Amino acid sequence: MVQVPLPPRNAKRLHTVCQFCIVGCGYRVYRWPEGKDGGPAPQDNALGVDYREQLGAFENWIAPTMHSVVTDKDGSRHSIVIVPDSDCVVNKGMASVRGGGLAETLYAPDRLTGDRLKTPLLAEKGVHKAQSWSEAADLGARVIKAVIDRWGADAVGMKFFDHGGGGGGFENNWAVGRFFFTGVGTRAASIHNRPAYNSEVHAAGDAGVATLNNSYVDAQLADTIVIVGGNPFETQTNYFLAHMAPNLQGESLDLKKSTFGDEPADAGRMIIIDPRRTMSVAAAESAGGPENVLHLRIEPGTDIAVINAIARIIRDRRWYDAAFVDRHTERQTFESFQRSSLDTDRPLADLVGQAARLCGIPEAEIYKAAEWIAKPKRGGYRRRTLLHYEKGLIWGLKNYEGVASVINLALLTGNIGRPGTGASRLGGHQEGYVRPPYPGGRPALNVDEAVRRGEVKCYWVGGCNPVLTTMKAEAMEAAMVERGAPVKAAIDATVGRPIGERVTRIVEALKQGGMFLMAQDIYMTATAKHAHLVLPAAQWGESELTSINGERRLRLYERFMDPPGEAIPDWAIMARFARRIRELYLEDENPLMANRFLDFDWRTPEDVFIHARYQFKGDRSDPMEAYSGVTYDFLRQRGTNGVQTPTRIVNGVISGTPRMHHDGRFSTKSGRARFIRATWPWPSYAAQVDEQRKEFRFWVNNGRNNHVWQTQYHYQRIPFYGDHNPLPYLEMHADDALELGIASGDLVELFNDVGTVQALAYITDAVKRGHTFMLFGHPRGSVGDLISDHVDPKTTIPYYKGAWADVRRIGPKPDVARELSFLPQNVSE
Amino acid sequence: MSKFSNLNRRDFLRIGGTGVSGLIAGQALPLAPADAAAKTKEQVYSPADVAPLADLPVGASLEFQYPDEDSPAVMIHLAEAAKGGIGPNNAIVAYSTLCTHKGCPVQYNPERKMLICPCHWSTFDAAKAGAIVIGHASQPLPQIKLRIEADRIQAYGVDGLIYGRHTNIL
Repeated sequence: MVQVPLPPRNAKRLHTVCQFCIVGCGYRVYRWPEGKDGGPAPQDNALGVDYREQLGAFENWIAPTMHSVVTDKDGSRHSIVIVPDSDCVVNKGMASVRGGGLAETLYAPDRLTGDRLKTPLLAEKGVHKAQSWSEAADLGARVIKAVIDRWGADAVGMKFFDHGGGGGGFENNWAVGRFFFTGVGTRAASIHNRPAYNSEVHAAGDAGVATLNNSYVDAQLADTIVIVGGNPFETQTNYFLAHMAPNLQGESLDLKKSTFGDEPADAGRMIIIDPRRTMSVAAAESAGGPENVLHLRIEPGTDIAVINAIARIIRDRRWYDAAFVDRHTERQTFESFQRSSLDTDRPLADLVGQAARLCGIPEAEIYKAAEWIAKPKRGGYRRRTLLHYEKGLIWGLKNYEGVASVINLALLTGNIGRPGTGASRLGGHQEGYVRPPYPGGRPALNVDEAVRRGEVKCYWVGGCNPVLTTMKAEAMEAAMVERGAPVKAAIDATVGRPIGERVTRIVEALKQGGMFLMAQDIYMTATAKHAHLVLPAAQWGESELTSINGERRLRLYERFMDPPGEAIPDWAIMARFARRIRELYLEDENPLMANRFLDFDWRTPEDVFIHARYQFKGDRSDPMEAYSGVTYDFLRQRGTNGVQTPTRIVNGVISGTPRMHHDGRFSTKSGRARFIRATWPWPSYAAQVDEQRKEFRFWVNNGRNNHVWQTQYHYQRIPFYGDHNPLPYLEMHADDALELGIASGDLVELFNDVGTVQALAYITDAVKRGHTFMLFGHPRGSVGDLISDHVDPKTTIPYYKGAWADVRRIGPKPDVARELSFLPQNVSE
Repeated sequence: MSKFSNLNRRDFLRIGGTGVSGLIAGQALPLAPADAAAKTKEQVYSPADVAPLADLPVGASLEFQYPDEDSPAVMIHLAEAAKGGIGPNNAIVAYSTLCTHKGCPVQYNPERKMLICPCHWSTFDAAKAGAIVIGHASQPLPQIKLRIEADRIQAYGVDGLIYGRHTNIL
């Protein structure tokens, strides 16, 4: 019989934050020696809960997935329980399906997570052989130095995480940034999920608007919540459950009344702009009633058309916030915005009609959306509208103008900086960015191209897996294999030879078009398999780290176990390589280069945290992540509620910032926000995309789902998660499936001019006819194999959501299908 | 065909088993063999009579409690064979109705063949051993083991941990 061990009263108690999504839910960690369990009486367990009785709803239950046994370096075994923290204002004691299994992601030699990388590895004669850290750092440092010296800094390419949460955080980001930007000085840098080093939301930055500007409580206070290209039930779960849904249900009415006094307050409404009928739509309808949810089910690439049409109605009806626009925006940008983006020379009805046709939705829905966003409330009070956008827009057609259209709408309606408002990304992973400035310009260099063209001689991939996630993924893998081969031959030919000779042979291979590939990760990923040098990193829980969530809430994620084997935190890996490169340059009597790699002598993660803190001034010039004055001790005292950045020190006391721009000032020279041109994109697909769209029948929308985190790097090793989606699935409309003779559970193949990928068919009304949807980075089949290498020339941002392909049935897959549920994932009643 | 077609992530046709077994409740609990012995109390479920088989026609459902009166459950007669099902067509199944997310009472929707939580909208598949369709629960709904004794349906065990308990028999 299943039994979950209870933490004893003397269990060690720590705080952490979930390693996964942007919401950053608070968790409590209990650790105690295996077998020394507590008892069910309240005085006998650390939670003080009476487990002798059946618990009521919402109590502190420990699900089986919330416990595991870990083994430390000294061989000692400890039980770990990780439960959601009821004192945390973010999640209020709730776990998502992802956070509920945090304990199962921990390294344990006797479970599937036991295959963590434990030592540095070198690919020698067809196998990855264990190396010591000093051997690995010596070889890697010598190759990097040789590449810098012969080809220049830009020949050292990198693709690294820049996020918070697991595999990131301020400490690791700072170390990576100092290594590549201060040390190497390369412009050939790229971020985990895209081919260049660029903002995903340049337009918000250009407008002077912080990308995360609201507090989560604003979703309880808003009259209307607008979601563009997002699916918060599944991918920002507890933001939806603990903040958005209660507003739709009317449960936050008391909070609204106490906050706003006489201002009329009703239960909230929600507008979702998304081609798919997701579970977010279904759950919102259950929470608020279908009459209070408006789902604009647009065609791909038409976001800007519908958002601009809404803005135009608001302008023409004079529902916009003229006082805000006058006081807080640059006037001339407002004038040019009206002409360029709202087509004010055209009649309103004409414009709305065209938008409706392009988007494939009724005109009435566009008018209704405008009303819900901006029509004044009883007594002339302005509506408080909270606008959120995410990958549907960011990875959509025209990244820059798409984001601009939402920011413009928020500025037009004065919905930034006040309670119940905001214009923020919903976010994917957490944040925690602090780095020296990127040395390159804008648009940033396309590193995927530089790798494929042979310009990158040494490519260091950290905490990401481009073989699964980049566009034209097969070509990237081909480049790694083909360009890696001469380097492999050089390594194989110099087994047992002195290091100098080995490096000379490797450099000869690089001259012949070879590429030295380094991978730094926690598991042997599809990318790491091709790497010459593999470096084992510590993960969440194995070293302290700090990050912010989607409302800029900074917390300390405490350490509660050892990393496996010789694995060390990413910051310590970067430091180790930097120190070795410095030694080599000193030996070379090149102090100029040696000094670029100074100051990597951190001893603790807090050393790195404090070192990075000197980037911040403690004044309004700081970015939204700034944590002036903050120490680990300060954060430890604040537990899972932490402090919202940016911080200021007032009379010696650290104070946080619940809302950015609350004083009406924006991050531009003038202090006023700027409207950004967001002209209609249609019909301006890039030629490459347009040809694909004409040739192939189905639009292949893609993204995450509730049960899958990123590439499933942990989840393929945890049966509860891995077995939920053992293969990627393809959502198809029933009529399309019928025409092609496809049933749920059939294996299908998608193919286009870029590549092929297979998936299990899943018939659903979530997608319109002609549309399909697939997970973005499944280890058994990645949509990246279908995505062209087209990028927005202004931003070098890919059009990841813009693939078209044909679908053919391969046949049934009963061994998998009979175990899976094909019931609809978008019904709530 | 791509030159990388030998890589299993791009062609899993040739791959046999996929290890799809964790949908069975309880397998998610990661205990080393040594732990399992130490941590498993020798608890024995008492069989309990639920209803005459004849009282549960196809399409019907019946609420009961098992293994004790604080543990609400529902028995469902589906139209088709179900995982762990009993009866003439292996179509009778039963589940704990405490949602394995936060313990709200899930409700059976016979048209959808789903158990649905009204608090946070987690949904479970009645024909697939209570597997999560979508939602926040970190395990399937515990499935009540059923058998037929002299034309009466009897409950005799539970697969998976019931919400709000550290062990199913308190």
